[in-house]
Amino acid sequence: MAETTAHDIAVEAPAEADTGQSVSSRLGLGFWLSVVWLIIVAGLALLAPWLPIADPNETAVGGRLEGPRSGLWFGSDATGRDVFSLTIWGARISLLVGFIAILVGFLVGGTLGILSGYFRGRFDSIVSFIFVTLLSFPALILAILITTLLGRTVFWVALSLGILAIAPVGRLARAQTLVFAERDFVTAARVLGASHRRIIVHELLPNVVIPMSALALLGMGIAVVAEGTLAFLGISVEDGLSWGKQIFLAASRRSELQDGPHAAFFPIGVVFLTVLSLNYAGDRLREVFDAKELVL
Amino acid sequence: MKFLLQRLAQMVAVVLAVTFLCFAALNFLGDPLFNILGPIADENSGEEYAEVRAEARAEYNLDKPFPERYVRWVGGMVQGDFGRSFKNQTEVSTELSNRLPVTVFLMVYAQVLAVVIAVPWAVISAARAYRTVDKVSTVVSFGLLGIPVFALVVLLSYGIQLKWDPQWGDDSLFPGRYDDESLMSRLRSLAIPATALAIPLIAIYQRLLRTDLISTLQEDFIAVARAKGMSERHVLFRHALRPSLFSMLTVFGIQTGALIGGSIVVEQFFAIPGVGRALVEAIIRDDFPLVLGVVVVVSVIFVVVNFLVDLAYTFLDPRVKFDG
Repeated sequence: MAETTAHDIAVEAPAEADTGQSVSSRLGLGFWLSVVWLIIVAGLALLAPWLPIADPNETAVGGRLEGPRSGLWFGSDATGRDVFSLTIWGARISLLVGFIAILVGFLVGGTLGILSGYFRGRFDSIVSFIFVTLLSFPALILAILITTLLGRTVFWVALSLGILAIAPVGRLARAQTLVFAERDFVTAARVLGASHRRIIVHELLPNVVIPMSALALLGMGIAVVAEGTLAFLGISVEDGLSWGKQIFLAASRRSELQDGPHAAFFPIGVVFLTVLSLNYAGDRLREVFDAKELVL
Repeated sequence: MKFLLQRLAQMVAVVLAVTFLCFAALNFLGDPLFNILGPIADENSGEEYAEVRAEARAEYNLDKPFPERYVRWVGGMVQGDFGRSFKNQTEVSTELSNRLPVTVFLMVYAQVLAVVIAVPWAVISAARAYRTVDKVSTVVSFGLLGIPVFALVVLLSYGIQLKWDPQWGDDSLFPGRYDDESLMSRLRSLAIPATALAIPLIAIYQRLLRTDLISTLQEDFIAVARAKGMSERHVLFRHALRPSLFSMLTVFGIQTGALIGGSIVVEQFFAIPGVGRALVEAIIRDDFPLVLGVVVVVSVIFVVVNFLVDLAYTFLDPRVKFDG
């Protein structure tokens, strides 16, 4: 499947792209730099318990708001905790929440979108109305409501952000399905007597999902920011510090922010680079798949 | 006309669905009686409180079946009665009418800042498309998109309030406390919060408008305008700008949702007494009527803004007909 897609793209690619180039080289250096950064952050986050770094909860590792030095790369916060270690442990929560949220959005939204685009009719009207309703809620308010009601654990926070992702993902999946369901290869499959299930899984799913990989990256950026926002407001995961909470704690007292801005700035820098990488990689994928309708 | 009516009906249906979901969730997943009375809401907490419980149930209609409560609540809301706060017994409608103007002012302020900066920036970029100025602009605006509002708030607070103006306080050019004495004092005290809200919008608007402008500038009527000897400035602002505003207008509606979210963060961080702060406080104290009131008002604003955006299409391009 991957080869066919690459071939199709090469044929349909806009004039600026050299048809002889492979997909990977057309994604460009920036894309691969972004991917490397994401792998580094995700790798450190996964390996955090085994890394030779201070316990993030241990106070007085450094002095009060001590600046960066060797062995204490990001300095220490107001209680002397290691900011580098806090940032890595924060990545665990932030990235995990972002990842689960997008997974939920794609599983539920993708399924609903493809089914409603394929079967149309009454089911389609109901699903579309649900999407419109979800979209007409200011996203953060919905997330705040759900987390408050369900609980402030990683699972529920991720699920509430996942619910937010359902409508945008579902609408796109539905639109893509509507386009492809009219194409000749689907008609051919139907004429050959393929079941609905077979058509959806073998004909539609690959065509709908691959262009949506760009949306997965962009969506994960949005989810990481959304979790950070909730945490910044004090209504996200209760146990453990995600990036948003870490930044809030470092910046909530003006005097501490003045004395040791590094305790807030380092995690901000990491959030910035991570979100930027997700956005950039997503954007490049979108251009390469030439899916212009992928506007959030 | 038919389209307008359909859109209106859809708006009402959406608002009803939103309120019903919230109302049901808060009633079934939460425990309203407990939120009003605290620990004595428990049936086993002693006979002496039985009367208090019964009174509270009657006062907040908790003894009625759920559908009736919902209908009563919606009925009251239509007449401007949002119920009474569980915690400090004030009318939710009073609370909302005190706080809503602050938030709306902040949001309009941010939008105006964003448009005033993004439009000329996009025009400059598009006029010099693919040259150095444009390339730098593209990188900068893409970078700005990667900074979440909660980080911007910290950076601006540090940069302006602590570094640029070390004596920063209530008498500064940008005072630290929200001050609504006069229009000027409001503009000054909300300048930093509004900037924090505006920056992501600027980046989004600039990117969209630049792309649309570049494609508009390829059109024949632009070549005609140039051939007639019009100045480049006239061509850009009087001819190319209006037909290029479509994408920007579309996201203007969508971004209102993001703006509402952002204003919660900003109001919380800078202690601005708007609805966003009210919502966070109400949620922390489990004050359901206030939470519901804020959610209803905010989602109505959001839906109405998007409706107005649809109407604005006709203004930008008279060829868009709603009956078509």
